[in-house]
Amino acid sequence: MDKGSDKDTDKRAVPVTRRRFLGLGVGSVAGVVALGYVGLAFDFLNPPPAGAEPLREVGQTGDFNVNEPRLVTYKGNGIEQGVYVINLGAEGWLALDFHCTHLQCAVNWVGSVNKFMCPCHGGVYDIRGHVLSGPPPRPLYHRVIKIQGNSVMVGGRQA
Amino acid sequence: MKGWLDERLHTSSLFQSLFAHPVPKRSNFLDYLGFATLFAFINQAVTGILLATVYHPSASGAYASIQTLQNSVAGHFVRSLHSWGANFMVVLVGLHLLRVFFAAAYKRPRELTWVMGGILLIATLGLAFTGYLLPWDQKGYWATTVGTAMAGYVPVVGDFLVRLLRDGTQVTGATLTRFYAVHMLVLPALLLLAFVPHFFFVLRQGMAATDELQEAEARGEDVRKISRPFWPDVALRMAAFVLLVGAALWLIASLYPKGLGAAADPLNKAHFTPEPAWYFFGIYQLLKYFPGKLDGLAMVGLPLIGIVVLFSLPWLDRNPSRRAKRRPLALGLAGVLVLGLGLLTYQGMNSVPKALAGTGVIAQPSYSKDIQPILHNSCLQCHANIATYPGTLKRVTPGNPETSLLYQHITGSVQPQMPFGQPPLPKTQIQTIKNWIRAGAKNN
Repeated sequence: MDKGSDKDTDKRAVPVTRRRFLGLGVGSVAGVVALGYVGLAFDFLNPPPAGAEPLREVGQTGDFNVNEPRLVTYKGNGIEQGVYVINLGAEGWLALDFHCTHLQCAVNWVGSVNKFMCPCHGGVYDIRGHVLSGPPPRPLYHRVIKIQGNSVMVGGRQA
Repeated sequence: MKGWLDERLHTSSLFQSLFAHPVPKRSNFLDYLGFATLFAFINQAVTGILLATVYHPSASGAYASIQTLQNSVAGHFVRSLHSWGANFMVVLVGLHLLRVFFAAAYKRPRELTWVMGGILLIATLGLAFTGYLLPWDQKGYWATTVGTAMAGYVPVVGDFLVRLLRDGTQVTGATLTRFYAVHMLVLPALLLLAFVPHFFFVLRQGMAATDELQEAEARGEDVRKISRPFWPDVALRMAAFVLLVGAALWLIASLYPKGLGAAADPLNKAHFTPEPAWYFFGIYQLLKYFPGKLDGLAMVGLPLIGIVVLFSLPWLDRNPSRRAKRRPLALGLAGVLVLGLGLLTYQGMNSVPKALAGTGVIAQPSYSKDIQPILHNSCLQCHANIATYPGTLKRVTPGNPETSLLYQHITGSVQPQMPFGQPPLPKTQIQTIKNWIRAGAKNN
């Protein structure tokens, strides 16, 4: 509706009385203060990005036989953590998170069939972490891996 | 004292207005379930505060602090009361909800009481879920890992939600501290914030059961014959009911003290298979019926629909009648839902491995006593029907273990070796199964 015309019939165009102005003031002050705390809480609780973990040494290149994934462990964030390190020979190196992408049970490397298997709902992955069968919606997560000299360094999750 | 307070705060007229009303004689203990839930919450608050005085909320200290607590008789009992109290509270909230639904007490003018009750239900389940992690044992660790992973199926923000819940990509000490704060502060605060109006509305509007008295009064009938005063007659009945619930809680907590499993092992070296608390078994079992691609629907879609229906029920159900006979659709749907959930919960609980009694090779095994428990423990989680005799027989050639699919897979002579992705069965169990097949695979 055009602001200038029909002022008498437009119910929204109530003049701002002192009472209404003060009421709005009380509401706005409360709103701004509350918003400040909500924003602060959100910032405070914001989790670190997925790949935030620092690189750490988990072994020497000679420790890992070609095409034999090994679960290496280290202490981090108050718990013992682990990651599968895989030496693919000429194709390089791969580090895989050991949590199934379906509901994050721990997958096991079963050497006799050369597959990662999840005991919970029967998810199966190949040596590169690609889904072969079962409910997992995506491949195993990759972790950052770097070879510096002879040291194998592993970091946080990729993507 | 009474006079002193009355003079200043007019307590007797306040008391009169809150508690002097009549309650129909037909009203029974089912109308006291909300009060019993309040009792269960008070039990949780008292025992929870006691537990908080000795608990160490850190990945390195949590398990040891609970172990130490278990060594003291009073400490162990308080923990059992808290753990059983949680079960009681979940059950009582559920029964209270069903009763209110059956009595149609959520209808006008009590819509807001129902909505507050919905918040109380969610806060209760949230408390149960967050409390499960705190002992930092295998059960709690892996149930939390799987439970929080479900949030990952929310479109777009799923991955962020999981990291927000866990304060990282996996369940760590940071998760424990976060859950501790939510369990101790956030959810109890939410619960109290919703409880105050929930209770106030009941006092203000009266229990739905009392409506019929007002209608009778309006018709000019004498309601004294069909009612009794709330204070002290009905109040005494309520107190007696709560005493009964409390006695049952104390009895169960002392007869079945809460145990403590192995310490949390985030690498899961012992191949522990996660399972939820029994009240989440319905959804746990439901997932098994959803094919892979639709998993997200069961984990996010159905609970979301459930929550939306719960909160909008007073407006969805436009049938003004409160009489059961005139609400066939609402009661029918609810009946199907309750039966379905009950059945799923029952199935889910039965598919979980139970401790095996006997060890060693059994020369003449019985199907029900010796074979079925092994199948129950190690195969049923993936292979539905395997632990029934016809289901077992499908995978067995009576008299000939070597050509039996079951035997071939547990020995690994046919790949993949079962149980899938887990260490093979102990040699003694394999031999027992072999003996049973060789003896003709009888249903004995």
